[in-house]
Amino acid sequence: MEVDVAVIGSGPAGLTAAIHARGSGARSVVLLEREEELGGILKQCIHNGFGLEQFKQDYTGPEYAERLIQDLEETDVQCFLNTLVTDLSPDRVITALSPEHGAIEISAGSIVLGMGCRERARGSIGIPGTRPAGIFTAGVAQRFVNIDGYLPGRRIVILGSGDIGLMMARRLTLEGARVIGVYEIMGYPSGLKRNIVQCLDDFDIPLHLSHTATGITGKERVEGVTISKVDSDLRAVKGTEQLITCDTLLLSVGLIPENELSQQAGVEISAATKGPVSTETMATSVPGVYTCGNVATVFDIVDHVAQTGATAGASAARYVGGRLNGDVPHVDIVPGENVRLLFPHRYSFQGDLLLFIRAAEPVEKPVTVEVSPPGSRITRPYARPNEMLRVRIPGAKLAEVRHPLKVSIREK
Amino acid sequence: MRGDRALAREIQGEIEKAIGEQPAVSVRDGIARLRGRFPSHQAAVDAGLLAAGFDRIRQVVNDLSFPGKMRFRTPRKVSDELTGCEFDVVVVGGGVIGLAVARELSRFDLSIALFERHNDLGMDQTLHSCAMVHPAIQADYGTLRWEMNHKGNAMWGDTASELDVDFERIGTLIVAENPEEEALLPYVLNEAVKHNDPEPELLDRDGLDRVEPGLASHVSKGVLIWNTGIISVFELVIAYAENALSNGVSIFLDTAVTGVHTEDSAIRAIDTTRGTVKARILINAAGLYADRIAQYAGDRFFTLHPRKGETIIFDKSYQPVRTVFAPVSLATEAQDSKYTKGGGIIPTTDGNLQFGPTAIEVCDREDVSTTAEGCEGLFEKFAPLLQRLKPDYEKPDKGKVITQFAGCRAATYKEDFIIEPSRKVRGLIHAAGIQSPGLASTPAIVERLREIVEEDWRPATDGAFNPARRRKVRFSELDLKTKDRFIWDDHLYGHMVCRCEDVSEAEVIRALHGPVAARSLDGVKRRTRAGQGRCQGGFCMPRIVDIISREMGIGKEQVLKSEGKSYVLSGRTK
Ligand SMILES: Cc1cc2nc3c(=O)[nH]c(=O)nc-3n(C[C@H](O)[C@H](O)[C@H](O)COP(=O)(O)OP(=O)(O)OC[C@H]3O[C@@H](n4cnc5c(N)ncnc54)[C@H](O)[C@@H]3O)c2cc1C
Ligand SMILES: Cc1cc2nc3c(=O)[nH]c(=O)nc-3n(C[C@H](O)[C@H](O)[C@H](O)COP(=O)(O)OP(=O)(O)OC[C@H]3O[C@@H](n4cnc5c(N)ncnc54)[C@H](O)[C@@H]3O)c2cc1C
Repeated sequence: MEVDVAVIGSGPAGLTAAIHARGSGARSVVLLEREEELGGILKQCIHNGFGLEQFKQDYTGPEYAERLIQDLEETDVQCFLNTLVTDLSPDRVITALSPEHGAIEISAGSIVLGMGCRERARGSIGIPGTRPAGIFTAGVAQRFVNIDGYLPGRRIVILGSGDIGLMMARRLTLEGARVIGVYEIMGYPSGLKRNIVQCLDDFDIPLHLSHTATGITGKERVEGVTISKVDSDLRAVKGTEQLITCDTLLLSVGLIPENELSQQAGVEISAATKGPVSTETMATSVPGVYTCGNVATVFDIVDHVAQTGATAGASAARYVGGRLNGDVPHVDIVPGENVRLLFPHRYSFQGDLLLFIRAAEPVEKPVTVEVSPPGSRITRPYARPNEMLRVRIPGAKLAEVRHPLKVSIREK
Repeated sequence: MRGDRALAREIQGEIEKAIGEQPAVSVRDGIARLRGRFPSHQAAVDAGLLAAGFDRIRQVVNDLSFPGKMRFRTPRKVSDELTGCEFDVVVVGGGVIGLAVARELSRFDLSIALFERHNDLGMDQTLHSCAMVHPAIQADYGTLRWEMNHKGNAMWGDTASELDVDFERIGTLIVAENPEEEALLPYVLNEAVKHNDPEPELLDRDGLDRVEPGLASHVSKGVLIWNTGIISVFELVIAYAENALSNGVSIFLDTAVTGVHTEDSAIRAIDTTRGTVKARILINAAGLYADRIAQYAGDRFFTLHPRKGETIIFDKSYQPVRTVFAPVSLATEAQDSKYTKGGGIIPTTDGNLQFGPTAIEVCDREDVSTTAEGCEGLFEKFAPLLQRLKPDYEKPDKGKVITQFAGCRAATYKEDFIIEPSRKVRGLIHAAGIQSPGLASTPAIVERLREIVEEDWRPATDGAFNPARRRKVRFSELDLKTKDRFIWDDHLYGHMVCRCEDVSEAEVIRALHGPVAARSLDGVKRRTRAGQGRCQGGFCMPRIVDIISREMGIGKEQVLKSEGKSYVLSGRTK
């Protein structure tokens, strides 16, 4: 099968990309999704707070997805559900498996990567102890509760203050489970402020900063979790251990962009963002391969995800139409003062630059985001590591730039 | 005997001198027995090892008590369903040794039953091993362990192909980093020859580049012991079990042996948690509890001291070495700390690198918990080494660790295998103290056990015996055309349940049926690899819970992670 644009993944990123690819002139667009339904992770996020920016509406995850799906249904984008992409070659041939279509190969003029991210599991953070039942990543617990209608446990400790963990603290409390506390290794929470207030404070669930889990006990089912304080190097302090009796440990300790396929295609991966090295058009290092959403870098809110999807879809269509060249001149975008993470990584002179910036340290007073050259200064009320800043630099300002763009966050 | 008493005093003196505690010691028939109160578990273990250090001591029974000593509890009887059954042979233990010997004895016209206390096979030592078929150089020359190791190693090629199990001889590579280390290589070569490892090779830089590309420029020489192998352990366990079953062996899971009846010093009957069965021959392959089985039969002449080993496993994207990588500096390192003793850099047949295992004495045989010290220790020992010796390769990173696990070795104080008929009870045959390299030695151990049975019982051969077993297709290994055909035949092959290891729903369903079916999430994982990849079940766990619930006809809240009360979920939402 041959198509103009193939989009992998139907989360908000992939859905938006497919719609925009078709809307920007691609003649045939396919959307490949391994789940039974479109929508990605949104399907299990039954709380509200989605789409405030994009649709000026307060949707739940499934409602937000439904809006996008309706838009998609008005196009002739062909959706393959239950279809897992297993291989991706540098010359843009996709191999996928599906019960309905068998083993298929699709050769695409351009490709949009929208595979989202996965959650970090116990192994990669190395919590010692036994290996009983009752240890879940927060997203798996979310799926069990919101989609299957089952409780993961009754007395729950949550490790990590990522948004999914915070959501689950509230959800499980509403379902009658006891959430004993949320323990975060850093000195600041990683989830959004509004989630701390609405999911923990409103339910009297304590958040313990600078704490981590240093042991798990229980042979068959979790019986307890040992919690320790950590020092400024994030190492557990001996003598501060406390054993908390519980039957469940939820991990909300970070998301990892799912780039195994991207790597197969030879896409260069950034050590900082763990996603493809990208330009403002969402182009990766492989011509004709674009990226968006959480597979590119982990975003905080779905509106940002959708925004990158729109760009990626339009770029992919322009590429097959011969209107966007794979190999364009570009300058790097590099972090300066108090910047932990930047997206995209390069600017290729194709119009405005939409920058997503994560601060390294929290600044609770007005800051200026400085991009130099060209010397743009943008003011924001604060900078927090758990809330990405987004700034737009007009293309006109960047036309003459010849050196790497350095981005800094300074107190105003 | 006077000599025994003198020896007992000598042992007592030695222990007192070294540890400052005085146990009561008695010696009979070369068996030393220690009693008394000791201040700690480690002191009690040290005393046992000191007693075993005497040449005239054949085995040590260690009854020293110490604070925190675990009391052994015999599992409770659950039914009488097996009472009245009669077998020629009962094998206790469904680890690799029990399964392999059951299969080996099915060559004969004997009725055979195998009892395993867990709800799945290989769950003690076997599945916690590093899956390496050791070269003989690592075993003490002249011991039974060494003899079984070098014979067993040589037999693996044939055994693995009969059973259709992944087995690769990747070799152990011992590299020197400076002239002093280079000077040790001829010695290493000699030792390998002496231990019967075939044709070890001294390699120059060209040779090194062939077997292990990308070594740092300062590495100029090395020794390759090519017969080191790696094997797919769970596939092996299943293979032995399937082949044993197809040759008429009965396997009973969730069935613990709780007592042995003898008459005129011969085996008569075996008590299990599911009733009492009659038998003439009892093969003691009970791993960490082999001393307990010996005691049930009135033949208590050794004590096992569990030694825990921890291993860490990396994501498949991190594959820095092709060989079992053992620089000279590892062997000569002055003093390993307690937590980093032992272990190596060992690839697996699935492509996941391991660091491990450690070696720490523990008092609880069921202690399979991992520790921060173990993980840190392994990482700090091996990561800098890899970085130094493979500088162009990606830095080892803790973020690439996908899991950590531990298992206990069933060591005797003599630290050697016991593979012999009981001297007291006719029909009782021990395969005890089978710690590392028990897996490497398996084919030789079961050959020895077969010879013992043949000699004592002269069984007739069973003409229908077929040693060959074919493995089930692994869908992910098929080419695209064949995959397509499979999906058209059974659409569930097209429904991928595990995206890290590419496992289809059809394969999960298959694992849940048949004679050695999975009964839990872990059981499915071991049979299909679903959940064993980089996301560690994040994607597939809810799906597999669904499939187990459907296929076993149980509610989701009854689905187990492993066994006992290891329920995955705790009930419905409101
Ligand atoms: C477990 C989890 C829970 C979350 N919960 C919340 C929440 O409660 N609130 C919130 O605001 N944000 C939540 N997020 C953040 C959320 O991911 C983003 O807001 C948004 O959904 C990301 O969109 P996306 O399209 O990039 O990725 P996703 O929504 O993750 O979509 C990716 C899609 O790609 C598909 N896919 C991946 N690989 C393949 C392949 N090889 N072949 C075919 N299809 C493939 C996946 O099945 C999925 O449908 C959560 C994230 C995770 C991982
Ligand atoms: C950390 C570690 C790493 C290792 N690495 C290697 C390696 O790389 N290479 C190698 O060659 N060897 C290795 N070994 C050693 C190897 O695993 C063992 O030698 C081998 O698995 C022994 O098999 P077994 O069948 O005797 O014991 P086990 O696998 O322990 O099996 C004994 C079985 O008996 C059952 N049982 C016990 N009591 C009863 C009862 N009363 N009733 C019913 N059933 C009972 C147990 O449940 C168990 O399943 C390692 C061991 C460990 C712990």
